[in-house]
Amino acid sequence: MRSIILILTFLHLVFQSIQGQEWKVPDDKKGRLSTFAFDDNTRMAGQKLYTLNCMSCHGTPGKSNYLNLVPAPGDPATEKIQRNNDGEIFYKISVGRGQMPSFRSVLTSDEVWNIISYLRSFNKLYRQQVKSVISSTAYPGSTINMFIEHISSDTSIVVTAYAEKESSRVPVTEAGIKLYVHRTFGHQVVDEEKVTDKSGRAVFRIPEKMHGDSDGNILVSARFSDEDVFGTSSKDTVLAAGIKTIPVSLVAERAMWNNVRKAPIWILLTYCLGVIVALSFIVLVMVKIRDIYIVGKYLENKASEN
Amino acid sequence: MSEEINKPGSDDQEIDETLESSRRDFLKKVGLVGAASVAGAAAVYSGYRFEKNKNKGDTVKVLTEDNRLVEVSKEEINDIKYQVKSFQTKGRDGIKGKKWVMVIDLSKCRNARKCVNACQSAHHLRPYEYHINTLVMQESVNTPKYFMPKPCQHCDNPPCVSVCPVDATYKRQDGIVLIDNERCIGCRFCMAACPYSARMFHWQEPMNAEEDKNKPYNVELNVPQKKGTISKCLFSADRVRENALPYCVSACPNGVFYFGDENEDSVTNGTTKETVSFSELLEKNGAYRLMAELGTKPRVYYLPPKNRIFDFTEGEKPEYKETT
Amino acid sequence: MARSLYNTDLYREKLESVSADVLRNVRINKGFLVWMGILTISLAACLYAYTIQLQKGLGVTGLRDATSWGMYIATFVFFVATSLIGMLISSVLGLSGTKWIKPITRIAEIIAVAFAAVAGLVIISDMGRPDRFPYLFLYGRIQSPILWDVTVVTTYLFVSLMLWFIPLIPDLAISKSRLEGRPGFLIKIYEILSVKWVNHDRQFQIMHQAMRILLILIVPLAFAIHTVTSWLFAVTPRAGWDSTIFGPYFISGAFVSGTAAVIIAMYFFRENYKLQKYLTDFHFEKIGRVLALVSIIYIYFNINEFIVPGYKLKTHEAIHLKELFTGHYAWLFWGVQLAGLVIPVALLLIKRMRKPLPLLLISIVVFAASWFKRYLIVVPVQGHPYLPIQNVPVEWMVYKPTIIETSVTMASMILVLMIITILSKLFPVVPIWEIAEEEATVNEEIEHK
Repeated sequence: MRSIILILTFLHLVFQSIQGQEWKVPDDKKGRLSTFAFDDNTRMAGQKLYTLNCMSCHGTPGKSNYLNLVPAPGDPATEKIQRNNDGEIFYKISVGRGQMPSFRSVLTSDEVWNIISYLRSFNKLYRQQVKSVISSTAYPGSTINMFIEHISSDTSIVVTAYAEKESSRVPVTEAGIKLYVHRTFGHQVVDEEKVTDKSGRAVFRIPEKMHGDSDGNILVSARFSDEDVFGTSSKDTVLAAGIKTIPVSLVAERAMWNNVRKAPIWILLTYCLGVIVALSFIVLVMVKIRDIYIVGKYLENKASEN
Repeated sequence: MSEEINKPGSDDQEIDETLESSRRDFLKKVGLVGAASVAGAAAVYSGYRFEKNKNKGDTVKVLTEDNRLVEVSKEEINDIKYQVKSFQTKGRDGIKGKKWVMVIDLSKCRNARKCVNACQSAHHLRPYEYHINTLVMQESVNTPKYFMPKPCQHCDNPPCVSVCPVDATYKRQDGIVLIDNERCIGCRFCMAACPYSARMFHWQEPMNAEEDKNKPYNVELNVPQKKGTISKCLFSADRVRENALPYCVSACPNGVFYFGDENEDSVTNGTTKETVSFSELLEKNGAYRLMAELGTKPRVYYLPPKNRIFDFTEGEKPEYKETT
Repeated sequence: MARSLYNTDLYREKLESVSADVLRNVRINKGFLVWMGILTISLAACLYAYTIQLQKGLGVTGLRDATSWGMYIATFVFFVATSLIGMLISSVLGLSGTKWIKPITRIAEIIAVAFAAVAGLVIISDMGRPDRFPYLFLYGRIQSPILWDVTVVTTYLFVSLMLWFIPLIPDLAISKSRLEGRPGFLIKIYEILSVKWVNHDRQFQIMHQAMRILLILIVPLAFAIHTVTSWLFAVTPRAGWDSTIFGPYFISGAFVSGTAAVIIAMYFFRENYKLQKYLTDFHFEKIGRVLALVSIIYIYFNINEFIVPGYKLKTHEAIHLKELFTGHYAWLFWGVQLAGLVIPVALLLIKRMRKPLPLLLISIVVFAASWFKRYLIVVPVQGHPYLPIQNVPVEWMVYKPTIIETSVTMASMILVLMIITILSKLFPVVPIWEIAEEEATVNEEIEHK
């Protein structure tokens, strides 16, 4: 009880200090650059991601319709946000602060760069710098690659990381790797973080319940935990490692709550039969009334003839 | 006169014959009228089909809202009504291959009511009109109080849908229970049938009636709202169609809500954006469903208010005043 | 072939005297016009309340999200219940050969028609979008009890109308020549509606066939109409409505309010139309017994409905029962159960209380209590849903009917009165030919002896 109060007070203090403070990005993170050039495609992809992940708080860029929170989220089209360099924005999206969540497990680095590409389209003065080679401080000058495969015999997924420089290929050792499976609203961690062995391999155990699509396919991507050391390298791979999940429509069965075409047969029959029986009796009675009329008319005619 | 005719039974046979022949005539007439009306209906229908198919070949290029150039056949261009219709078809059909589920972690809720506010602003509701409401719950005198956000449970055996007389509220293949306020007759049978009190009725002109008047009706957002019809939680059908989390889920500051697809066995937390295994989350936390004994099979799961992050303080109760 | 009763002089003689007594009232006189005028003006006033409701929405009533069904639905259930009496009198008693019901069958059918017809309108007044009423036929879902209700109420109304009309045909034929001095349109209507009735044996034979079909058809229909109405509540998973005996509970209750209504009408016609000769103390004595019997049956169902959940006291059932027995609704509840049911039964067991006037007074109390009983069935349950009602304005917690709502309900009652007035004033209110037949048979039997 008391500890909770202490924690709360502490949180409160931290929160207050955040409010007044400039959001500082560590110097070594500031220089990060996108590995690809921004173009219309990246901007469009970025716009979609922005709408899904950012718009609920930041509003539409340029319209200053962000949510009224403390600290204020701010409009990304304004100078306040645009004066950050690419690396700073990347860091802020990835790490988060206060009410701004960390998007590290939601978005891949490429996706974050796409969002930045979209945001930069509101800044006419912006000129992009591209880092053409994916490199790392551990393997300077090399391109880092990953290869993901599914070992069905022992239900595991193996990620192999290697650094390539000209024609030589070296395994990336002792690098922490996380494996994610892509889901509708985010990326789900598979197993836990693994460290590559001497041959650059990290072995991930597939959990018992790994649902795939109807063919059992899942889309996975692997990322280094420490992207500054090993560079940003993610690779999306489709593997047939999941349980085959054939989606069943929830409205397939005949039920009381379904629409008329899928109503239980007995109720359709009972209703229709009831209506038909009642109607036919009513028609019969109407015919009888008509008969009374016919008889009366006949007798009347006969009487007048006489 | 009547006395003259009224002779006992002598002319029974003649009467029988008269009745017989008149009945034959009558049936013949009924047959003729029936045949004529069937023929007429067929003619009208074929004419309608012909008119409908006439322009099928022609197409036009149209710029869509998200700046794509698409080719559309001419007959489909019907100003804004077409949009309503497409909203309706999409909205009735649901999203193939999905089975949405929500998990609500009661140990994290401290009644911030951000979910309620986000929902109300998205669906143009007044402060006391709820699709989702956070309730103060207490099972018995000795058990502690806790807060419980309560959206529609989107039951797999929905009592509300069973009783709807006009198919205005319906369940879709992805599990969402929606209400079509262009169809609703306002009988409120669904409200009577819902054990979770999840539905609301527009007793007066809805809040933004004037501004929303000319907007095309989106059944997945239920905006514009309409007077005299039911409104209810929609699991943000418009948002999940775009792979975005529902309004309430992403608005929560305390990580109470998880939302996801049961087919993928994964749910994503709206605050931390962390995606976890649905079955594992339920298993590890002793999840339950509200009033499971009623057999409604809700699609919303609750994690019990155990090891709570926050102390229970009811705080100041806001006053709600009816506005007209 | 046996000598037909309808051709005897005795029968014609009786016809003459009965029709003279009965047709005396069939006219458009000053009293009728004044009465209809009052009804029309009050109806207009009440309908004005309805236009306000149409304009501003159902918010002008006391209904809110928690208690979303109130007075309107209670009145609907009450009207459907009362209309069942047509079936009880004409069919159940009629088919079993009970003779004394003959003079009151038509009154029973008029009540059935009037209440069934207006019940449908009451439902429309409860709808948020009455303009979409046709959707029920365009998009109807067969799984919904509302659809069954609409189907079965319209059918019941039509069959009741037929049950009123077919035995009226001979009367119309008898009357049309005896209606001098009445407005021309009335004579014209009689002429058309009498479908060339000439009092021929063959016509009587056809009419009896038609009646037999209808009397059998009306039994399942009447049970269906009110069972389905009870299912509007019983199919929901709410404590207090979620009951398996709701069908018979409603039907037995229906007979109570219906019988009371018939007694009130009988007394009124007897005094106003000077029909003491046909609606005798004997008839009151008999129908008084019927009222006692149906009330006892209803008490039995009430015991079942309250003792069984009261014994177990399941959480929400307990809250509901407490609310009725000792809570907010206690006065009304005990008033209805004791003054409207138990005490009347005790009184009705005394022979003196089955005389016309005391019976009338008892019936008025029973009839009014029947409406409140429906109110108690519909409203209190909704005040305590499974999940608490929170964070809403105060007015949303407890249901209080408003003046507008009461006026619209009054409008429906006025409409019932208007229909009863028209049907009983412009057409013979007791069946002339049946009474003549009855009297002639009795006389014949005496002669034979």
